[in-house]
Amino acid sequence: MLAPLWILLGCGRRPASERQVVDLYIASDGDFIAFKPDTLTCPTGALVRLTFHHAGRLVTVRHNWLLTRADQLEALSKDFAANDGVLSKDDPRVLAATPMCDKGETVMVQFIAPPPGDYPFLCSTHPEDMRGILHVTK
Amino acid sequence: MKPVKIAAVLMTIGVALFMASTVAAQLKSPDDVKTGLRLLMQVSNDFKRQITAKNFPRVPREFKEYKESAEAVRTAIKDEPAAFKAKAETKLRAAVAAFQKVSDMSSNSPDADKLMAEHGKAVTAMNALFELFPPELRPDPNAPAGIRAPKN
Repeated sequence: MLAPLWILLGCGRRPASERQVVDLYIASDGDFIAFKPDTLTCPTGALVRLTFHHAGRLVTVRHNWLLTRADQLEALSKDFAANDGVLSKDDPRVLAATPMCDKGETVMVQFIAPPPGDYPFLCSTHPEDMRGILHVTK
Repeated sequence: MKPVKIAAVLMTIGVALFMASTVAAQLKSPDDVKTGLRLLMQVSNDFKRQITAKNFPRVPREFKEYKESAEAVRTAIKDEPAAFKAKAETKLRAAVAAFQKVSDMSSNSPDADKLMAEHGKAVTAMNALFELFPPELRPDPNAPAGIRAPKN
């Protein structure tokens, strides 16, 4: 009888109140097509609150921050290159993503850190150049 | 040629080189100049990438970014002597016009080979601008725009 409620509350998952919260900050390298820093670290299972700032001032390009799995990176990059960086909300290859933002703007995304390992992140509008790695530790 | 004439020619060359290096060394905003020139190179590389991938509709957008990068260079040299600014403006306009031609061609008659050839001419025009600035401020044509591959 309580099963639906149990599922709604997140059966088997650690309650959010006990979860470690990690705040990460990353920005574009000014107007250049690169992340700064290009590596981030967090522990597995943590609630990650990631802030991305578009630090450009001069050129009108849009950026976002998107997390994927290493084995999906190239296929995802290829798709983004072909479809102008448009992100499908239901794409299972995307683990987390901020909204797209213009120069000077700041956006956020919140997600649960995946199992330990190295996860690539990228900007969907510059998938070949703007990349980095999220190290998820035990 | 008489030794006196040779000495005069060498002295003239020396003075010209000294003047050029002095202008370079005295740039008011070298960091902004370096950023502006690097942006031009970055966008030029994006032009090339879009043409290679046959993403022709995206080329005009790259041109918009190229014009913004050119504006960044103009702003970076706004306090330089008038003679230097005039020389740079001439080269900058030539580069912008060359990239505009690539952009227009991508809309009117997209052909990757022809666009690449025209892009090559545009890069030559851009390099003529770069040569006005000291080598340490010029972008490395082989440097990647960002981090191309994840570090493992």
